[in-house]
This record gives sequence, C-alpha cells and structure tokens, in this order.
Amino acid sequence: MAGLERSRSTRPGLLNRLATFLGIKKKEAQILFVGLDNSGKSTLINFLKPDSYKRQEVVPTIGYSVEQFTAGRISFTVFDMSGQGKSRPLWEHYYRDAHAVVFVLDSTDRLRMEVAREELNNLLLHADVSTRKVPILFLANKMDCKDALGPIQVSVDMCLHEINLHSWHICATNAVTGEGVEEGILWLTEQIKHRL
Amino acid sequence: MATPVVSTDLQDSFTATSEQVENSPSKNITDASDFWINAYQDPVAGIKTSSSCMALEDLNGDGENKLIIADVGTTPFDMRLKVYKGTSLLANMQLINLPSGLCTFFVDTNEPMTPAIAVASGPYVYVYKNLRPYFKFTLPSLDINPTEAQYWKQAKEEKLELLSFREMLEELQATDTEIPLTSRSLKLLQCLPEELEVFFNMYKHSPLKRQTVITCIDTIKKTHNEEKAISCIVIGSEHREIFILDPEAFTALARVYLPSVPVLLYTTGVYEVDYKVYVSCRDGNIYLVKGGSKIAKICIQTGSHAVGIEKQGKNILVGAMDDSLSCYTSRGKKLWTIQLPSSITTMEAIEIKSKGIKGVILGLKSGEIRLYRDKLLVNKLMLPEFAIGMKFGRFGREDSTLVLITGSGKLSIKMLKRTANLETRIVGDTLKSITPGKLNLPKKTKLYTEQAIRERENSIPIFQTFHRDLELIKLYITREYAKAIGSRLAPISVTTENIKLSAQVQGLGPGFKLSVSVQNASNIAVTGLLITFIYNPTIYGMTINAIPIPFLVPSINYTYEATVECLSDTGVTEAIRVVITKDSVSIPLLTALITMPVSLGMLIV
Repeated sequence: MAGLERSRSTRPGLLNRLATFLGIKKKEAQILFVGLDNSGKSTLINFLKPDSYKRQEVVPTIGYSVEQFTAGRISFTVFDMSGQGKSRPLWEHYYRDAHAVVFVLDSTDRLRMEVAREELNNLLLHADVSTRKVPILFLANKMDCKDALGPIQVSVDMCLHEINLHSWHICATNAVTGEGVEEGILWLTEQIKHRL
Repeated sequence: MATPVVSTDLQDSFTATSEQVENSPSKNITDASDFWINAYQDPVAGIKTSSSCMALEDLNGDGENKLIIADVGTTPFDMRLKVYKGTSLLANMQLINLPSGLCTFFVDTNEPMTPAIAVASGPYVYVYKNLRPYFKFTLPSLDINPTEAQYWKQAKEEKLELLSFREMLEELQATDTEIPLTSRSLKLLQCLPEELEVFFNMYKHSPLKRQTVITCIDTIKKTHNEEKAISCIVIGSEHREIFILDPEAFTALARVYLPSVPVLLYTTGVYEVDYKVYVSCRDGNIYLVKGGSKIAKICIQTGSHAVGIEKQGKNILVGAMDDSLSCYTSRGKKLWTIQLPSSITTMEAIEIKSKGIKGVILGLKSGEIRLYRDKLLVNKLMLPEFAIGMKFGRFGREDSTLVLITGSGKLSIKMLKRTANLETRIVGDTLKSITPGKLNLPKKTKLYTEQAIRERENSIPIFQTFHRDLELIKLYITREYAKAIGSRLAPISVTTENIKLSAQVQGLGPGFKLSVSVQNASNIAVTGLLITFIYNPTIYGMTINAIPIPFLVPSINYTYEATVECLSDTGVTEAIRVVITKDSVSIPLLTALITMPVSLGMLIV
C-alpha cells in the first residue's frame, strides 16, 4: 500500500513559522493535498519542508504519503494523495478528518481542466465535505510555464464561483521556486485558526 | 490572456432511452453525461481523416501521449501530418501524397525510448522519428507488360505516331488483362489529344514502372511482447500482397499473397514466435495469415464488407457494412450478430486496464456513438454529426480518452469518467441478436445419399425432364384457355358485344333465388339477348327457363331473377349454367357456372 514517510524537524520551516504565527499550541491540523497526477502536489509539499529534508528529485506518488511537521507545540499532518486515475478513489477516505483541502491544479494542462473539475465536483458532493465547512485552497501551479492559464481563467474553467458552502481561495504558484505558495498557506492558516 | 479552453458542448445532446427515463427517472445510471467528460473541442480544426490514420503515442518519452493524425486535407494537395500535444498543435508537416494509414512503432531500444511514425502513402512508407523524416520504404515495383514496354520504346524512338501509339495502348488495355497497364499509360489514355504530346515528352525519358499502392498498415511486435518492444510493419497492398518489414533494415521479412485486395488488418502475436494477421479483403472475406505459412487461409465469410475488425479474447468482432456487429470464434464460426439502427462509420476497440474492461465503440452514420461490452450496449452518445475517425486510449496523461473527428472536421476529445458505470447495460436495449443455434439434423440415410449422388450425376437429364414437363403444363393451360374462350365458356365475352355477367344464389333451400346481373360494357346498345339456364331436371326445377333481354343500354347494370326449387332431398348439388345467347346464334356469347349450395330445407324439416 502506501509509502509512509515521516520527517520530524525542529528547524523552523515555513510551516513552523506559520504555526507560531497562528498561536495554536498542542493542536493538530490535518491538510489534504489533492489534484490530478503531475499537478505538482509532492513538489509543493517538498518546498514546504525544512531544507534538510528536501528531496532532490520528486517522483510520482503511489497511493499516498504522509508528511508530518512538529512545529513548536503544534503538529501539521499533510496527506499527499496520489493523483493517478486509479488512486483517486482513495481520496474520499481522508475527507472526514481533513481540516482543510489543498486542490493543486496544473494550469498548463488545458486538456484535463475538465477532469479536474469533475474530481472537484466529486469532492464537493461527498458526504464528508458537503455537510461541513472545509476551507479549500486552489493552487494554480506551474505559473512559470509560458502557456499557463492565469488564476482567474482557471477559476472560471473550474466554475469555482459555484462553491457557496466552503470558503475558498485561489492563487498562482510555482512549486519549484515557491512563488505564491506563502500567500496561499497564509490564507489557509487564517481559515484553520477559526476552526480549531 | 489565454483562450477559453473548456467550452461546454451545447450541441451534443446526451440521450438516455425513453424506456429508461420512464423506468428510473431519478437514477439514470447509463446517461451519457454521467459517462463522458467533454474535455476539449475545436469545431474549426478542419481535419479530414479516418481511424486508420490516427494514433495516440508518447512521441517524446515525457509521459504524455500525443495525438498523431495523417490529415487528408480539405483542399487537394493539402495532406498534413499533425501532432497534437494536449490542445496545441506540436507539429504540422506537409505530406507528399495521400495517406492511407498511419501507425507508431519502436525501431530501436535506445534511451530515451521514442517511437517512430510510419505513414503509408502511395507505394511508400514514410518513417518519421523525433518528428523528422527518417526513412522512406518503397514497395518493390511490379512486372511490366512486355508489349507495353515495347510500344513505349518504339514511340520514344519515333517509330510510332503518337495517336497510333495511343490506339495500340487502348487495344492492349482491352485485350490483355494478365498484367494491367502502368499508371503512366493509363494517364496517357486519359489525356486529351492536344495534351498528348506534352505529356509524352515529359515522361518518355524516365523508365517505365508499375507500382502498387499500400491499402493498409499495421504493426506487429518483433521478438517479444512488451509495450515498448521493437515492432515490424505489416503492409497490405493493392497488388493483393501482405508484406512484413524489418524495422531496422526495412527489408521484407515475409510476403504472402492473398486472393483479394486487403482493406483492413488486425495483427496479434509476436513475429519471431507466432503471429496471426487477420486481413479483411475487398471480396468480403476475412483471411488469416499465420506465422510461417505462405498461404492465406479463409477465416470468416462476412457476407458483407467489414468496416472494422477487433479481437476480444479469443473471439473476433466484425463491424460490417450491412449495419451489423458480429462475433466470430477464431475458427470463423459466428457466435452472435447485433443489428444496428444505422450504418457503421468507424469502429474502435476499448480497453480499460484498471477496471479490466474490454469492448468496442461504434460510430454510426446517425451520429450515435455506441459502446458495446460483448453484445451488451453500455452507453449511447448522440453527436450532431457522424464521426469519421475515432481513437480510444491514453491522451495527454489521461487514460480512457476518446478522440473524435466528425464529418465537418471537428476535433472533440472526451474522457471517460472515473465513476462511469460500465457494468449495466442500457435498459430498453432489446437484444436483437441472431444466435444461430445448432439445428437438430437427422442423420443422412443411405437412400438420401444415393438420391443425392443420382441427382449429381444426372443433373442435366433431370433438369431437361423437369423443363419439358413445365413447358407441357404451360401448353396444356394455354390450350384449355383457348378452348374456353373459343366456346364462350367464360363469364366475360370477347366478341364485339362486350357484356359482363355475374350470378348469385340466395336462400337456404329448397327454394333458391338466382340473381343474374348483366352489364353492357361497350358503348353501343345490344339487342336481342336471351338468358338461358341449363340444369339437371332431376335435381332442380325452375319456373322460367329463359329470360329474354330485348335491349341492353350501355353501362347500366340489369338484374334478373329466377326461382329454383331443389327437388332432391338427398343433399345432392349440381352447378347451374347460365348462358347468354344473341338472336339465333347457337354459340353462346358467354357462360357462367353457378355452384349451388346444399339445400337445407330437408335438414330443417
């Protein structure tokens, strides 16, 4: 089944700083990273990790992998779900305990934008999501590519304006350099702070 | 700003059968909108191609499958090789000739593994690698008619007048069918007299060649059956031959002659181990070429022409031009047939490995796209126009993608939903399959065999006897008819007095009433007619034996009545004859025979 990876760190990474910023102590926040394959979920998480734990090369995730960061007195658990077609049915089993969902989109993959929308619909219609408020962060990844769609165009294509129940936010990112990631994570922590 | 990519397909209407809507309005499990995602469409792609000129393959080894299309073009001489990466055109190369087929295959195992594209066009196979021309294979040219070559030689040496040269070629074309004329001679025959000289001077110095044309192309794995193993090209030619080409040296590894011109190919197996090539030919039969064999054996007689062949497990599915989808065993025995509402335009096999599902997709002339698993209709999709080309497979990074090219050149890409239900068949899809069951035939008896042998041996005398008897019957009938007409026994007269007669019997008996209606069908009034009844006086008695008709006005129906008494109480009946005569002529004008019913009088008493 899944390759379980745990990396514990005392060095302040970005998530550590966020935890301090939040002021939430001794609490756990579970964040679910979903999105189609090759959208850059693992690369994003790799960027969020402390430098010493960063991997040089990111390989396609099989099943899912868990990254845990203990920052001060709070722990962040990030579920990095595999986006491959055959692994997508796995996502719904993790909706229940997720405090927030990060939906990573490949803004260059025009062909599969509709597939991503379909998966988002499945997510929104699921009983564990449709019955409670879960903040959803959309990351329009690969913004550095020249044929990438802008975040506004992505939100139009994904029909994000139809989401009424949950609070959502979209920002363009570059998972390799980390551009735009901070903005998104800040929004997310702000959202979680209210709920924890 | 980026162009809008995902346009909702307003024109495509998804249909569920009416029965289904009635039965389960809340849960339309097989509704097409629950089935396909409309990922992309380009209504002005302007592509004209067929399924055999389309392929989905990862050309660069970057994990993304590209769509490769050999486009015939909407205008003449605009043939192009197009490669789509996602929604954008990666390459658009000019093709020299009309493409007849396209396939992708690996020519070497060098890393990174990049497949080559083979485009069949005319007598050539153009091989592209890394989107650059790599190799051109030419089919060996055929023998030339020696007389034709001699004529050309003579004409070149100016021993022959151009016009007489042309006449001689024409003569040759009409007589000698053993070796057909070269395309150059045929073109010359088509030339107008004033164009003749220009054409002749242009081509007279180049050597005469007769070339065949590739009709179909496919690949077969060479040494081992792996996804990225080296493959051989299999070519079918207009010259009724199948070639298997070596991928490295591009030499013919095997050549097999066929009884007819191949149209479609389906290959299985590995060349160096064991392979089978199913070849659908223009005579409507599907032939089987086996590894090591030099002869093509007849495998399936479709009774029509195949539009598509696909193998599923051990069975072969054939979509035919008689609007049917049939399943045959590998030995050619028909298992089932489904009659379709419209003719098939294109056929494509589907395989979803993650779900272990295999089936076929049929594009129909009515614009319907039907998905069959075995003989079960799983899904229907209605397009505004029919599909001319269809490919199912991995495109981009998404498995189970359906690429459609429709009649007006529209490119649309649909992706099978992850949640699509392929298990349930559409409610209301009546299985009109014709399953030929085993007939319980009795054993052939000795008598039957002897009779069959006798019939086979004496077929000519048997036919002659039968024919003679038939002619005799015809003669006899004609004679009788002539006799009836001659003796005025028919109820319609054939003389100048055109009179119609009909008679009816009324009553239960013993008293009957005879109603005789007489009508003058001519334009002139007839005078001096007499109706006479002829009967057996021992059975019947009549008050009036004859009724005189002094004057018969044209086209008015006269009815005369006479009473008949049945004298016999034994239930015997006999016909009464009604005869119309004119003046004192003894030959009757016409006669009617009245069949008398059994007198019920005695039964009642």
